[in-house]
Amino acid sequence: MKRLAFAGVAFALALSAQAQQPNPMDNVPDKMPNDIPYGTPVSLATAQHALNAALAESTKRGWKLNVAVVDSGANLVAFARQDGAQLGSIQIAEHKARAAAKYRRETKAFEAGVQAGNNYLLTLDDVIASRGGILLMDGGKIVGAIGCSGGTGSQDEVVCKAGASAVNK
Amino acid sequence: MKQRPMLTLDDCRKISAAAEAEAKKNNWIVSIAILDDGGHLLHLVRMDGASPFNARTAIAKGKTAAETRRSTLVWEDRIKGGRTSMLGMPKITPVQGGLPIVVDGTCIGGVGVSGVQSHEDEQIARAGIDALK
Repeated sequence: MKRLAFAGVAFALALSAQAQQPNPMDNVPDKMPNDIPYGTPVSLATAQHALNAALAESTKRGWKLNVAVVDSGANLVAFARQDGAQLGSIQIAEHKARAAAKYRRETKAFEAGVQAGNNYLLTLDDVIASRGGILLMDGGKIVGAIGCSGGTGSQDEVVCKAGASAVNK
Repeated sequence: MKQRPMLTLDDCRKISAAAEAEAKKNNWIVSIAILDDGGHLLHLVRMDGASPFNARTAIAKGKTAAETRRSTLVWEDRIKGGRTSMLGMPKITPVQGGLPIVVDGTCIGGVGVSGVQSHEDEQIARAGIDALK
């Protein structure tokens, strides 16, 4: 009984110590985060250019990935599965591209957030907390996004970057 | 052990390019999907101006053709013929425009097209598959 009471006091102390630390979530910034405008949807030609650049990078490295490109409305425009790429990554590739477009940032941002302990990110709609989803830009506006999946996140990202950098202006 | 042919990415590119050429020749705007024999997406193209719905429908038609090993028109006709209980079949899209890809008597995948009239969608899918020969 005594021990229980002591534990209770210790818990209350721990709570009050926590309460004294400022919660970073309470911070109210003046400006909007990720305030990047949406542009016109990417054309099929540009989407395929990005996709083929990504596939070329993956082939060069002997990897087998799925690559998806969505437009500025986060809807699928082009997709390709390399010979022998894993089936589970068909949906993941599209999901990464879609999440990048919907949230106007690389999916790596979610991965970093979760790694830092911000698990609430996983409760947001249609989030995927894994790198390998990157925006396609034209003149400072979002025209679409590319998503890669099938390898490690780091492999996916390398291929994704090759695709995005082939078209980003 | 039994062996069967399998679609490569190069095959898909050939099919998709031929299908797209058929669509362009007729000034049609469509989405073209190619799936393997397990109904898993291999390749997708949504032409400029085709809707997100077209992309989704092309995949659904191609999946039905690949998984059931028959044209989606077969399903459409059976239902139209009065067998309405077929609508209850699991996850089928019984609308013309999806064709199985048959090589050496084996179904190795499917092509689905959506964007114009259903018989025109099928014409595009056929043109794509013919490019394999």
